Amino acid sequence: MRRIGLHLGLLFACAVILVPLLWVIRTSLLPEHLSYSPELMPAVTLDNYVALFTSTRYGQSYLNSLIVAFGSVVVALPFAAMTGYAFARFKTSGRAGRFAVLATQMLPPVAIVLPAFALLRTVGLTNSLTGLIIVYAAVNLPFLIWILMGFFEGIPVDLEWAAQTDGATAWGAFWRIVLPVSLPGIAAAGVLGFILTWNEFLFALVLSGPQTATVPVALAALQTSNGVQIAKVSAGVVLAVLPLVIASRFIQRFIVQGLTFGSVK
Amino acid sequence: MSSIELDHVSKLYANGAYGVRDVDLSIGEGEFVIFLGPSGCGKSTTLRMIAGLESITSGDLRIAGRSVNNVPPRDRNIAVVFQSYALYPHMSVRENMGFGLKMRGVARPLIDEKIREAAGLLGLTPYLDRKPAALSGGQRQRVALGRAIVRDPVAFLLDEPLSNLDAQLRAEMRLELVKLHRRLGRTIVHVTHDQVEAMTMGDRICIMRDGRMIQVGRPLDVYADPVDTFVARFLATPPMNLLPARLEARGDALMVVGDGFAVEVPERHRAAYAPVAGREVIFGLRPEDLHEAPQPGYAPIEASVVAMEALGVENILVGQIGTGAGTGKPQEISARLSRHFTAPVGARVPLYLDPRPMHLFDTETTRAFPRPSLRLGQN
Repeated sequence: MRRIGLHLGLLFACAVILVPLLWVIRTSLLPEHLSYSPELMPAVTLDNYVALFTSTRYGQSYLNSLIVAFGSVVVALPFAAMTGYAFARFKTSGRAGRFAVLATQMLPPVAIVLPAFALLRTVGLTNSLTGLIIVYAAVNLPFLIWILMGFFEGIPVDLEWAAQTDGATAWGAFWRIVLPVSLPGIAAAGVLGFILTWNEFLFALVLSGPQTATVPVALAALQTSNGVQIAKVSAGVVLAVLPLVIASRFIQRFIVQGLTFGSVK
Repeated sequence: MSSIELDHVSKLYANGAYGVRDVDLSIGEGEFVIFLGPSGCGKSTTLRMIAGLESITSGDLRIAGRSVNNVPPRDRNIAVVFQSYALYPHMSVRENMGFGLKMRGVARPLIDEKIREAAGLLGLTPYLDRKPAALSGGQRQRVALGRAIVRDPVAFLLDEPLSNLDAQLRAEMRLELVKLHRRLGRTIVHVTHDQVEAMTMGDRICIMRDGRMIQVGRPLDVYADPVDTFVARFLATPPMNLLPARLEARGDALMVVGDGFAVEVPERHRAAYAPVAGREVIFGLRPEDLHEAPQPGYAPIEASVVAMEALGVENILVGQIGTGAGTGKPQEISARLSRHFTAPVGARVPLYLDPRPMHLFDTETTRAFPRPSLRLGQN
């Protein structure tokens, strides 16, 4: 009896999480005029997906999002790795420094977006992917630093000492030993940075233009004066979620891996 | 020349605490030296200072006659084997062993040859392409040693390398290390808190406590003549019996009198101990100097058995002597007796103590009162 109750509870929890997602997938496969239909699956069509790419700029936005998310991670990771390592290994700036790094994360994004806009306008990077990449790299940096700092703290200092007595410089020990050993952590941080950028809306809305809109902005643009094109929005959402699903598979694998096993004890 | 000299070396931390204090030691070329002490006594810190992994606050450290205080670890040509082994997890055994040579720009064929040599020496040849995670504890330990050997350093620094091994493997590796030292003829500094390793492996033991090096000497010398009660207790299991007593002059004789025992000081120590007569002292006697059978010159005592530990090769008796007068409770002693000696717990048994290797320590300073040395086997 208890088991049945438990399973019913679990089924309910699954339903709470899954039904909205399944409903979005269902809506994305219905013709626009049937999208509010109470029936479960009155018809099936891929028209919404086709229309998304032919009659809107969704394809361009998708590419923009990929470029911006990848680009910001590529720009931010080296800085995050080096700063995180410095915080983990040296007493540089103490606890205060570590928390000061988080200061920007404590402000509401709207407080940063306007200064960011002003800055980008000064250097002529508004409405450009480069501008977005730089801003996202900067905004995500503290978060990535903290993740990597935790990861580096978990790497035994003996490994670096061994490398240094083996003839490596401090930089050599970081480059040849610490970095390869912490690859899973760096990969996980990269994936998290990618997801953060991919989902971000406010900065993209303010800093991008029609040519440089990202997926969240493009989806918002489907709310027209004629109403919300819910079937197309659903199709867009399904496509927008795809990279995140793939990314979370990756992150799981990397985080579970834990390469350091075997070096110590 | 690969001597290591520590000239009044100290390590002072930012919080004002000393990690190592005024260590003065000269390690000869090819010598096998043991740093022994309890956790936190500064032995690993001293080792890391020699390796260059820890800065030196004051004093001078010389390797092969050259001051190396400000020389980075990579330029000291010293190999360290860590307690954790610190193998690079992403590299194979071969790459781990070759890393040091690669860093020094040695040619590939020579690296391969050195690795082959060391792997053969340590029985690692079948495992060269494995990652550390796929090795047993003992094998990892050998890889760590191999990584040190291939570099042909001027000295090996071993930081408790055997402490993660099980008892049997530890005994084997102990022997291996001694053999290796003989074969390579290099200076080895071995840090440990294991008294057996200290007694059996090194040419000299350096006993550390609270950052200071309190006694340095050949293992049997330190065992026979500990400088204070700490060394007396630390160097063996079971430790030396230490009993509060009073040194009394009775005519020509000197008597050590305590709760439950009265021992005449042997003639050879009499002159040395005469100035202490009339004072409270700590009487020290090792468990193996208590016997179950009387001999001429032995002093009889009576102990009530608290526990008998049968180790197969011998029996350790833990007993109580005296009435507890003065101290409030009877004194506990241990005796290393023959494996044939048994007694039930609670029984009162006669024991005979051999006064010749006795020690007297100052009650206040815990330092030993000097007396003529009595190396084991010389009585």
